[in-house]
Amino acid sequence: MEFSTTTFILEIINFLVLIWILQRLFYKPLLEMIAKRKQHIDQSLEKAKKLHDEAEEQRRLYENRQQLWEQEKKAAQSELHQQFEVEKSAQLEKLRRELEQERQKANVTLTRQQEEFQQHVEKQALENGARFAGLILQQTAGPEVENRLFDLLIDQLAFLPEAAKSSLQLADSKKSLIVKVSSAYLLSNDQRQQLEQKLGLLISPLMNFQYQQDTALIAGVRIDIGAWVLQANVRQELAGFAEIAYESE
Amino acid sequence: MENAYSFALGAVVISLSVITTWGIMLVLTLIAWLSTRSLKLFPGARQTVFESIVTAIDEAILAVAPEHGRQIMPFIASLWIFLTIANLIGLIPGLHSPTRDLSVTAALAVLVFFSVHWFGIKTQGLKRYLHHYLTPSPILLPFHIISEFTRTLALAIRLFGNMMSLEMAAMLILLVAGFLAPIPILMLHIIEALVQAYIFGMLALIYLAGAIQSQQLNPQE
Repeated sequence: MEFSTTTFILEIINFLVLIWILQRLFYKPLLEMIAKRKQHIDQSLEKAKKLHDEAEEQRRLYENRQQLWEQEKKAAQSELHQQFEVEKSAQLEKLRRELEQERQKANVTLTRQQEEFQQHVEKQALENGARFAGLILQQTAGPEVENRLFDLLIDQLAFLPEAAKSSLQLADSKKSLIVKVSSAYLLSNDQRQQLEQKLGLLISPLMNFQYQQDTALIAGVRIDIGAWVLQANVRQELAGFAEIAYESE
Repeated sequence: MENAYSFALGAVVISLSVITTWGIMLVLTLIAWLSTRSLKLFPGARQTVFESIVTAIDEAILAVAPEHGRQIMPFIASLWIFLTIANLIGLIPGLHSPTRDLSVTAALAVLVFFSVHWFGIKTQGLKRYLHHYLTPSPILLPFHIISEFTRTLALAIRLFGNMMSLEMAAMLILLVAGFLAPIPILMLHIIEALVQAYIFGMLALIYLAGAIQSQQLNPQE
């Protein structure tokens, strides 16, 4: 345990030199590097924080934009829905009117068809009725009926309207008139003379009478004087009956 | 035996402790130079080890003296590093710890003594620094002065005594018990070397921090 002043002094110097060396070569570079790394980390963290903040800002913007888009979408959907409802209502109204028109048209057509059908049926019924009546009268009619109709014709000639008489007289007074007399049964001579006398008095004495039998008349007489036709027969009456009944509708 | 390794440069006798200290300084200088030759922002394993050592020391110092830790860091860190190596170097056959030499431990203790006053005056000014010797009462001034010397002496004697006794005990056991028996003692030597280095450095740190922050601890004064 010796104390050496030289060693003491040298150790002090040594240690001070060691402090200086370590400070220059060891502590300072390492601490500077650590500080630099810390600064780098701080900068990285700051940059990361900045990026994070920017990302958050972008996210907020995106969310706001998305929210706006959602609102715009809902508004557009609502508007479209309203337009659709309006259009649908208009189309439905138009369709309803068209249907109404079509229904009215159909009703009119149906009514007309019904009326036509009814008229056709009625006409058919009348014709059938006339035909049946004709068949019955054809079976039941005979010379007696014809004689009575001939008498009726003779009687009626006296009561012809003046206009008809004048027309027959004006037909042609210079040459003889051809008078076609058709009857269901052949007229007797008396009847022919009676007819010729009556017509000669009524119209003109110059007449050429042509007689013929026409069973289609069923019973009675038909007289053709030029354009004029005087009829007193069952067939004409039946036809007239049917026409009158048809015209009365 | 120690004298056999010493030599004289004229009137100046260079002891083995000084030679060992130079060797330690040389090794530390080489290590420091190699370790910081190519520092990188993203460190490798070797750089990480050295940075961890410096960071651990720095944090320990800042924990005790947060405001002026960086000023005293080179001194305290150098104490810890030098004492750790100086205490452990005795484990290498043929070498002896410089710290088992009272001249070396006294030199370090005196450096601590002057460092306390140097940093105290530097940070607070001479008047304010000297004023703390009169607190809490001027009556305690002699005790403060005695304390300054005794704690410096204690620093030197504690380290010297522990290291010398440790090496002596290890040598005696080796002589008495043969080759394998001293191994546990060598383990104890390692622990004791580390503990003594830590104690010396931590006490120096506390003394320095106390001198630097004596006024800050009593701001009302």
